[in-house]
Amino acid sequence: MKRCLRDSIYRWGVLLVLLGLGMLGTPTGAALAADADTIVMALGLDQDTMDPHMHFQRVGILMNINMYDSLLHKNTKLEYEPSLATMWKALNDTTWEFKLRQGVKFHNGDPFSAEDVKFSFDRVLDPNTKSPQYGNIRGIKEVKIIDPDTVHLITDKPFPLLLERVVFFPIIPKKHFEKVGAQAFAESAPVGTGPYKFVEWKRDQYLKMERFTEHWRGPAPTKNLIIRVIPETSTQVAELKTGGVDIVRNLAPDLIPDLKAHSNTYVSTAPILRTHYVMLDMREAPFTKKEARQAANYAIDRQAIIDKLMGGLGRVVPTVINPMAFGYDPTVEGYGYDPKKAKELLKQAGYPNGVDITLHIGTSEAFGRQLAEAITEMLTEVGLRTNLKIWDPGPAYNKFFQGEGKATNGFIGSWGYYSTFDADAILHPLYHTEPGGWVGKWYTRVPGLDELIDEARSTLDKEKRLVTYAKIQRLIKEEAPSIFLYHQHDMLGMNKRVEYAARGDEWIWLYDAKLRK
Amino acid sequence: MTAVLLRRLLRLLVVCFGISLITFLLLHISGDPVAMILPEATEADRATLRETLGLNRPLLVQYGSFIGRAVQGDFGQSFFHRSPALPLVFERMPTTLLLTFFALALAVCMAIPAGILTAVKRYSFVDHLATLLVLLGQSMPVFWTGIMLILLFAVAWNLLPASGWDTWASTILPAITLGTFQAPLFLRISRSAMLEVLGLDYVRTARAKGLKEQVVIIKHALKNAAIPIVTVIGLQFGVLLGGAVVTETVFAIPGTGRLIVRAIGQLDFPVVQAGVITLALIIVLINFIVDLLYLYLNPQVRIS
Repeated sequence: MKRCLRDSIYRWGVLLVLLGLGMLGTPTGAALAADADTIVMALGLDQDTMDPHMHFQRVGILMNINMYDSLLHKNTKLEYEPSLATMWKALNDTTWEFKLRQGVKFHNGDPFSAEDVKFSFDRVLDPNTKSPQYGNIRGIKEVKIIDPDTVHLITDKPFPLLLERVVFFPIIPKKHFEKVGAQAFAESAPVGTGPYKFVEWKRDQYLKMERFTEHWRGPAPTKNLIIRVIPETSTQVAELKTGGVDIVRNLAPDLIPDLKAHSNTYVSTAPILRTHYVMLDMREAPFTKKEARQAANYAIDRQAIIDKLMGGLGRVVPTVINPMAFGYDPTVEGYGYDPKKAKELLKQAGYPNGVDITLHIGTSEAFGRQLAEAITEMLTEVGLRTNLKIWDPGPAYNKFFQGEGKATNGFIGSWGYYSTFDADAILHPLYHTEPGGWVGKWYTRVPGLDELIDEARSTLDKEKRLVTYAKIQRLIKEEAPSIFLYHQHDMLGMNKRVEYAARGDEWIWLYDAKLRK
Repeated sequence: MTAVLLRRLLRLLVVCFGISLITFLLLHISGDPVAMILPEATEADRATLRETLGLNRPLLVQYGSFIGRAVQGDFGQSFFHRSPALPLVFERMPTTLLLTFFALALAVCMAIPAGILTAVKRYSFVDHLATLLVLLGQSMPVFWTGIMLILLFAVAWNLLPASGWDTWASTILPAITLGTFQAPLFLRISRSAMLEVLGLDYVRTARAKGLKEQVVIIKHALKNAAIPIVTVIGLQFGVLLGGAVVTETVFAIPGTGRLIVRAIGQLDFPVVQAGVITLALIIVLINFIVDLLYLYLNPQVRIS
């Protein structure tokens, strides 16, 4: 009996110790419930760092824009608006002048100055910084301070995308940064001039911000901002319905009717730059033949995909140039859906009995799986018998991608233009064959296309650029280096207590969001 | 006894070394992290970065320097988080451990009494009902159970938070989700272990000398039946630690699983290495504890 008692004391002791250990990691603190003066937004992924120059992630941008200002801003109509720069103009082909706003303060009280602008650009341009944004602005050769309220950005060649690039180029405080160092700035002490200042960041949980009352635009309408990280879409939507979250982005189209019908929620959508396509590998049969590539283009019923898979939210594009981007030529006509013609062209290409091909897609691609299956069906229908390979994000997919896309006839993808409203932002990565480019160097072999892309990006003359882009669109329409598909909408799920409308650049500019009282 | 412990400790070291080597090699053949860090850079820029990160050295040299620093607790800087890798893992470890512990405790509390009951009342209605529940519990994928629980308890009834990890209430649904998946296995094991023991002579002797049925079952039978149960629980702790990632994703819990899975996708070598080795250490440690429990449960092990 004694033995038994001792045993049971021992056993309970072990259990208590384990419980105690458990308590060490106990969650503490208040719930992140929405309250009267707080907006909560959900993102599927956390930023890797709070340093606005050291990432190239969409979620990072969405977090950064609340805390940092750039030289320029875009309004809801996507026109340039003054931000830290009040005036801007090109003095010649390679020199841009920016007049800086006076009396602007950083969150720590330091005044904003031309020094900070120069410091921010120089930091990203310095190869030792290893900034992933380096490629965006590498056309800038020098940043010159002319006087305390004037800065010149000098480019090595004409750089027509410069204004687009400085709409998201956060200016950070030189003095503060040098004092706290890069590590603290990225983790615990970020300071900007933006409408919200930093409160707390718990990695993979939330970022809390509070409005900066001395912001030059005037204080933001809502006091607190919380961005929560919720990876699973169903969970995001559940939080939206229960009021735990006010804004959810990247809704799948099949969720829209549900959120429209729910008493707490509504949906806001806007057409965006993200454009879908199928890259065709022009190095390998059958897509070495122009007729085969054209056949693939005639095989796809794009409108059916938009109606059935995208809930009607999308628009067919004639090439990969989005109608919202500079350089779009509305007179170029798309391929249209014509399976008969597709079969005919395939016969001309030398495949009267059809041909087997393999296409790849990563599942991180928005609505990728359904889209890929629809495309597979349609291509197979005309004789391009498609074997679909679906890749989960991860090393295998990366390796496939870094392996020059070999052993493949193409891949299904989409491109968001990096929110740059210019034809160059998609033409260069997709079709230019220079080694520094993206997939063009592997897949695309259209004679003369590289030269045209270079020509259009090396002048600031808008008329000239438009003419070149019109030429390019006719050329790629004819040569069909891709199957051209459609561009999609941004879809936000919103709690009815928040008033806000989706923007065409996928920004969620919460300074414009208002709480209904 | 000391010899046993020493031998175990030695084995622990060998296991850690093996794991570090496998992780290191698998990572290095899985792709080029520099292309992930600098997606838009020229080949020259990438070469510079490769040199700075030491990725241009022979694999063996890289592994040597990695091990040399790792034993001092330095796994290097995360390529993407721009901060040291090991603290990133440690920051999240209590969350994952706690979730695992809750789920395991819940599963044990549900499954073991049920297992005993079904063994004692074999072929009864309770037994058949339990079999059905086992089938159900193991057929429901974790993410589905999780989402269903959220829909019921958060959206429909508004009783518990749908996600997060900031209050006690928010830990309930994840623990149930993960626990429900584990419970059936424990139930099956404890039922069969119990059945086996109940048929043995010493149990009959215990009954014959007039002991109460509860005493026979709890004190005499359960202690012997506990050996396979403890083994499985120990093993499952490891499975849960790694397998909590789905639950962490559904409920937006900032755990180690999510960190590592994402780091694998980004080829963030330092984080993957720090994470995998930490998890491996914990699992080895748990196995060690299970071994110690054997000593307590089974005197034969103590003697030999």
